[in-house]
Amino acid sequence: MIQHIKKNRAQYFLFLFLIILIAVMSALAPGKFLTVRNFKNMGFQMAEFGILAIGMSVVIMTGGINLSLVNSAMLAAIVGSFVMRALYNGGEGMADIPVIIIGIVVVMAVSVVCGLINGYFVAAVGVVPLLVTLGTQTMFNGASLNITKGSAISGLPKLFTRIGAGSLGDIPYTMLIYVAVILVAYFLIERTPWGVSVYMVGGNEKATRFSGINTKATLMKVYIFSAVMAGIAGILMTSRYNSARADYGSSYTMQAVAATVLGGTSINGGSGHVLGTVVAVAILQVISSGFNIIGINRNITDIVTGLILVGVLSINYFTSRDRVKKAAKA
Amino acid sequence: MKKILAISLVLLMALSATALAETIVVMPKLVGIPYFNASQTGAEAAGEELGIEVIYTGPTEGDAAQQVQMIEDLLISGIDALAIAPNDPDAVSPALQKCAEEGVLVVDWDTTANGDDVKYSIHQIDDTLYGQVIWDKLVEAMGTDEGEYAIVTGYLTAANLNTWIEAGKAYAAEKYPNLTLVTDPVASDESAQEAYTQTLALISAYPNLKGIVGVSTPAPIGAAMAVQEKGLQDQISVVGSCMPTDAAPYLKDGSLDFGILWDPGMLGRLTVYVAHYELNGVEITDGMEVPGVGNITLLEDGKTIIMGPPSIWTAENVDQFDF
Repeated sequence: MIQHIKKNRAQYFLFLFLIILIAVMSALAPGKFLTVRNFKNMGFQMAEFGILAIGMSVVIMTGGINLSLVNSAMLAAIVGSFVMRALYNGGEGMADIPVIIIGIVVVMAVSVVCGLINGYFVAAVGVVPLLVTLGTQTMFNGASLNITKGSAISGLPKLFTRIGAGSLGDIPYTMLIYVAVILVAYFLIERTPWGVSVYMVGGNEKATRFSGINTKATLMKVYIFSAVMAGIAGILMTSRYNSARADYGSSYTMQAVAATVLGGTSINGGSGHVLGTVVAVAILQVISSGFNIIGINRNITDIVTGLILVGVLSINYFTSRDRVKKAAKA
Repeated sequence: MKKILAISLVLLMALSATALAETIVVMPKLVGIPYFNASQTGAEAAGEELGIEVIYTGPTEGDAAQQVQMIEDLLISGIDALAIAPNDPDAVSPALQKCAEEGVLVVDWDTTANGDDVKYSIHQIDDTLYGQVIWDKLVEAMGTDEGEYAIVTGYLTAANLNTWIEAGKAYAAEKYPNLTLVTDPVASDESAQEAYTQTLALISAYPNLKGIVGVSTPAPIGAAMAVQEKGLQDQISVVGSCMPTDAAPYLKDGSLDFGILWDPGMLGRLTVYVAHYELNGVEITDGMEVPGVGNITLLEDGKTIIMGPPSIWTAENVDQFDF
């Protein structure tokens, strides 16, 4: 147990930090922050961003980055909403449930196609992920704007909004979906041969290839996985906002990178844990909601988030350097 | 680490103002741009006058998703009223309905939300009147009501800009029949640079051009840049909607004749007053006087409030404004 804690000290440190943060917020907003209502509220909000952050983390573990993540989510959501609106036709068309099922299938399909495009250029052609996804970011966004002319697509079945607004007792559906995604992602990344090869590609792609692992297939699957995350997040967002628009969630892209790095994944790839990202997402959520409840200017929220990011990264850097030194001495 | 925590705790305590009897949240599309900074000043000044707490807060990017989360969080903090300038009316609709369910008064300002979600909709100007004033000022600047003119707009798809253009054109057709619009409105993509390029093209294509109307705030600035570069200040008059600080240099050298807009500070002030009146059971009526704003108009739908006639920037008065 102690061995385990020592090995994963960065993650435990992060978790401890989350607990402290919750305590501080509870003290600052007495009777408001530490309530079932607020935690339910944060549960509603956290899922879409958390799922995107997991999609980002897996790409960063391979040493890449997916700047088109949110844009592919919104493009998929827009196409899906377009189809749903046409089929539903303001209640005069098909019934709710088949419309929603078709809509979800379309969102996931478009999203996977986006992932295949990214994956093809990164894995098969070998272009740097930053450049590929910067390009596809513009491309997906352009496609979204072209379809919507910049406005939102609404007029979706009322039942569809229940995904984002409904709850089982006090647990939001979005939270249940998020937990399921976390479990699946954890299993895939940390318990399967593919997961091992993800870390290996991130550590040293060439060595991995020469050790007989099909790195192209590994990378391709990483971008598809990321796209699936984007698709799920796109469905949740469309449901929560009862519409889809090209610029929803535009602030999530860099926040997802921040959550990944805060969660202990090296931006150079080769390391990191899904659960680290999940804790980091919770930290960002607590800061965001806590400050909103207290009534602090959003600019200050951004500054504090940035400071925490720099602080935690510095602490991780120095503690890991100390360990390396000690190991060298011994 | 402990010290840092202690210091930040104290700071946070200081920042979270003591709770006053009434809390009104005014949420712009985003914080940190001159237009919305000016409304913040007005909204907060009104809060101080009334002795109520005004929280002026919004996302740091014009992202509807962020607005929704902020509304949800603010609901938990316990507020009495929310005045919102939505980035997207559909996206915030579920969150606004949640507000209404919890008994929070919801009004919109600057940009309209879905009508069913709000008690009042506070508009800066009457769209028809605004179009008319712009065309009146064009004729005044040209010094004649006959001749050729062109329109430089933001996006051809922008609903508010099109409303103003249509209102102005219809008005001109009746009142100034000798004004000739040389071509359909030209889009400048909300960019002064693009407006500049388009205006240069207009000037060379229509040598008899006497006037240019710019709608969307960068458009008159870009048009004035082109007129200034060509040295045509005396031949071509430029009028339109723009921010006074952007307009000042061009107004002073005559390349821009009139800037026509509204005072966002006054809009922030009016928003707080309307929410405060409604919370305290003061009936809002057509023509009632709001301190520091003047007489407002309440339309027949009982929901739409219009602040008043547009403000006009000229070379003489432009330095009084800081937005």
